This record gives sequence, structure tokens and C-alpha cells, in this order.
Amino acid sequence: MSIASDLIRGHTDSIILARLMGGDNYGYEINKSIQQKTDGKYELKEATLYTAFRRLEQAGCISSYWGNERTGARRRYYSITDSGRDTYEKLIREWQSAKEMIDKLIETEEE
Amino acid sequence: MEDKLRRYVEGLFEETAPTKKAVELKEEMIQNLQDKYKDLIADGKTPEAAYNIVVAGIGDVGTLIKELEDDTMPDIEKYKEAQSKSAMLTAIAVMMYILSVLPLVMLSLFNSRHADTIGLLILFIMVAGATGILIYNNMSKPKYKKESDTMVEEFLEWQADTDERRTLRKAISGMLWSIIVVVYIIVSFATHMWHITWVIFVLAGAIESLINILFTIKKK
Repeated sequence: MSIASDLIRGHTDSIILARLMGGDNYGYEINKSIQQKTDGKYELKEATLYTAFRRLEQAGCISSYWGNERTGARRRYYSITDSGRDTYEKLIREWQSAKEMIDKLIETEEE
Repeated sequence: MEDKLRRYVEGLFEETAPTKKAVELKEEMIQNLQDKYKDLIADGKTPEAAYNIVVAGIGDVGTLIKELEDDTMPDIEKYKEAQSKSAMLTAIAVMMYILSVLPLVMLSLFNSRHADTIGLLILFIMVAGATGILIYNNMSKPKYKKESDTMVEEFLEWQADTDERRTLRKAISGMLWSIIVVVYIIVSFATHMWHITWVIFVLAGAIESLINILFTIKKK
């Protein structure tokens, strides 16, 4: 678990961008969907999540706005920008090629 | 328990300047953590267990909060630098005012009409120079510009505004008195009526009071 989460942590940006590809969302909802997708095995720490939000926002990959909730709870929503979409595609390509390489490198010959 | 959660997050931000960014991040965190807490309660967790899970999930926010602080630093330093430059200019101007009478006093020892005129001329030049420096300083001195709008920044800006007003009044008052001294000397030398020319100082006092009143009216 801890080794796996170390591996995943390096891809926090891609994970968050992927969540936002489907539409605007706020912090807890994003983290909850990450948890659900991994059957509760992985969840971002709040600190990691907000650090990533700030970083992505500064890089122009995402933008944020305060939602107008009728119930009184004002939430900060994040939305992916065009440059964020480009970054997402690039990160995915990088991951695919890294994955292929790692798969080849760690596979043992069975002859 | 939700209040306890809020208090916990507020505790994390205790040492941070309440910039807009920091306040927003705090509110965002509280909102999201309370959502998580409510979900855990709905899942059948006890309030204590839910609180502990939420707090454990926050992780180390130290770096995150430190980044917020780094954003606010450079502006204040630049402002302080400009302020010390302005203090130096004021000091030079005041020094020139004080020294301006020196040539007149020294040259008057020669006891010739010519020497007095030269002394007066130097005095005028120095007073004009010092006044010029003071005015330049007042015009070019940076006002505290707000970078991120918070209540603290707004207070500093308000303070900068009143400070500027005060320094301007002081500068005018300083200028007034040096000009009065010059006028007194000229009038006295020209008329040789030393027994009565001191009235100029009484007049000057009245003028200064008038300026102060004008400032107070303008402020309102």
C-alpha cells in the first residue's frame, strides 16, 4: 500500500486533471471519486490535494470560482482550462510510454 | 463536533497572515472537511471516530501554508526600502535648512553690505534646494499599495494615507518657519526696525494655526 501510494503520488496532477475532464468539481467531491474508483484503497491527503490545486492554478491548468450554493455552503469549484487539457494529454502520453518501458524492464524471460 | 473541526483548521492557520488567499483556503478546507465528516456520520461512524478520520486525512499542511506566506513577503520589503530612502531625503533637507543660516552669520562678521547680500543669497539657494527635496520626496514616496486585499492590508493602506497627510502637514509647517526666518531677517536688515519686526513670528503662528484648521476641514 505505501509503495503503491508513493508511486501514485507522483501522478497527483494527472489524477486531478482527469477528474476535472468530466466537468467542474470541488475538493471533497474530487477526493471522494478518487477513493471510490480505487475501492477505498487510495485517498489524497487534504494537504496534497490543495497544494496540487494551487500548483495547477498557478500553471494555468485549472481555474477556480466560488459556487453559489442554495443550502448556504459555499464551495470552491475548479474547472480545467484548455492548457490544462493539453497538459493532461501530455501527462497521459508520458505515463503510457513509461508504463510500457517499466513493463518491459521488469518482465522476466520465460523460455 | 463540526465546530471542533472548524477550530482545528483555524488552529492550523493561526500563524498565517490573513491574506485573501489564506482565508479562502481555510474556508475551502473547512467546507470540504465538514462534507467528509457528514458523509462519515451517514456511514454510521461515531462523531469521535469521524472527527479522528477527518483530522488524520488532512496531512502536513505546513508547506502549503508556508507558500501562502512567501507570496506576501517581497512587497513589504520593497516598501520598507523605499521608506528608508525617503527618510534619508528628509534628513538631508532638514540639514540644509539648519545650515542655511550659517553662511549669513559667518559673512556678517565681515561687516560689509556686500557680505550680507551674498549670505542671504546662499541662504535662499539652500532653502530653495531643501524645499525642492522635500516636495520631490513627498510626491515620489510610494504609498502602501495593496497586493492582496485583506483587512490587514486595508488597514495598512488606510494608515499610509493618514501618514502621508501628516508628513505633508509637517513639511508645510517646516517650510513655513524657515521662510518666516528669512523674511524676518530681510525685513529687519532692510528697515533696521528690529524693535518691531518680531511681530512677524506672531503672524507666522497665526498662519500655521490656519493651515492646521484647513487640513482638519479637508480631512472631513
